[in-house]
Amino acid sequence: MGSEITSLTEDFIPTRYSLLSRLQNWGDEASWKDFFDTYWRLIYSVARRAGLTETEAQEVVQETVISVAKSIHRFRRDPKSGSFKGWLRNLTRWRIADQLRKRTRLPGYEDLTGGGRLPEPDEIPDTPDESAGARWEEEWQANLLQAAIDRVRQQVKEEQFQMFDLQVLREWPVERIAETLGVSAARVYLAKHRVTSMIKKEVRTLQKKWDQI
Amino acid sequence: MGPNLTFPAGEDPPPPIPEHELLGLIGTGSSGHVWLAKNALGAFRAVKIVRENSFNYGGAFDREWQGVLKFEPISRSHDGLVDILQVGGSKEAGYFYYVMELADDIISGQVVIQGRYLPRTLSRDIERRGRLPIGECVRTGAAIASALSFLHRHDLLHCDVKPSNIIFVNGFPKLADAGLVSEVFKPGARVGTEGFIAPEGSGTPEADVYSLGKVLYEISTGKDRNEYPELPPDLGETAEDRDVVQFNKIVLRSCRANPRQRFRSAEDLLTALVSFQFCQHQLRKAKAWRYSARLLAWCGLVVALVASVLMVWRVVWLLTHGK
Repeated sequence: MGSEITSLTEDFIPTRYSLLSRLQNWGDEASWKDFFDTYWRLIYSVARRAGLTETEAQEVVQETVISVAKSIHRFRRDPKSGSFKGWLRNLTRWRIADQLRKRTRLPGYEDLTGGGRLPEPDEIPDTPDESAGARWEEEWQANLLQAAIDRVRQQVKEEQFQMFDLQVLREWPVERIAETLGVSAARVYLAKHRVTSMIKKEVRTLQKKWDQI
Repeated sequence: MGPNLTFPAGEDPPPPIPEHELLGLIGTGSSGHVWLAKNALGAFRAVKIVRENSFNYGGAFDREWQGVLKFEPISRSHDGLVDILQVGGSKEAGYFYYVMELADDIISGQVVIQGRYLPRTLSRDIERRGRLPIGECVRTGAAIASALSFLHRHDLLHCDVKPSNIIFVNGFPKLADAGLVSEVFKPGARVGTEGFIAPEGSGTPEADVYSLGKVLYEISTGKDRNEYPELPPDLGETAEDRDVVQFNKIVLRSCRANPRQRFRSAEDLLTALVSFQFCQHQLRKAKAWRYSARLLAWCGLVVALVASVLMVWRVVWLLTHGK
């Protein structure tokens, strides 16, 4: 579903920023879960693109979330920290670098790398062909959309989500969906409209919640 | 990947299990290890050993111990529950164990080849085969719904229904892992496995129905529970695919976020599955009958046409030959 999501990103993502606040209360379990649900895929995906294994990437996700928890207060107090988006990118890259360093301690590492030098954080290949910032931005937007879809998935009636999924993400003709699911074409159109609106709203809510600090 | 004949590094060796010889490690969970064992009569068994020090807090050990004690007496009274044959150990000893019937091997079934045994679970079936035929989903769902209904009638909850806790014994699906079995109806608790836990939390019969609904979703679509309610990517227009869509209605009703909109009990889910199977069977029978009737009608028409042609030809022949 990744390519469909990427192609839909522009439709769903409005360009505006708002405040991140809930992350600061780390005693609130719901905030942890909310943050994790929203960003784990982004961090994981970047880690995998950097050449880490599944297990290593999972560890990067955990370590990055812990880093966020530890330093979110400091980040908020320091006006030089920049945007949350850029700060999270740096934390992710540092944790990826940590994982790469760990490899050097494994027996046989020299054989695997041919005795090569370990890449520095700035050299982590999160994009081989574009600028690192643009690539991160693309991942960021795609992740936000996916997080919004996942939230809406929990909110709408399952049948409506299935109609949306078949029509928008799999591009089935309306007539085929109506025949397969045994519903009228009008219901299919209505489901698409409703779910799409909810996803747009959810993207705006997510941005409001996390994107500005 | 067969049994590991040594115990995990950094851990104490397994305690002796009376009248059983431990042959190798075949499974590791959050609460303990499962060993392949042979009893005094030479029959293969599975032995789960649970140690108090493997839990983060003491209450979890007690909870699992109580779960097994409640599950053991009724486990052998229903075909859909894995049989617990022996229980031992104590809190004072810091461990307990229970001996269970052994799941089929993933390849050789009940024939156990030491060193190559791998238990057949529903999750391994999905891994190997992708989405399962709907007939198989219905049979598996009915067996587990019946087992859950039996547990609920005894005021017990399973609280951890998921594909890796459904094993096959002689090809028959059974609900395993009594670790979270509880008689305490404590709505809102989040015990179990994320993705299979109902939105309102576990601790009620409706929550067990929800978990089974997610199992049915995974086996009928081949997709992960977190992708619910997406339909299979390869959904086409075959008779099997039409069955998937129909079966999906049962899945959706089992997994409603609002428990009031779900099947009211495992018994109701079982009834829906049996009705589905019956209706599909009747539909197929009716379709087959209609097909046969149409074929017969066409055959009759062809015979009538041939007879008419022959009759006309005979009349013409008689007239032309002047008889």
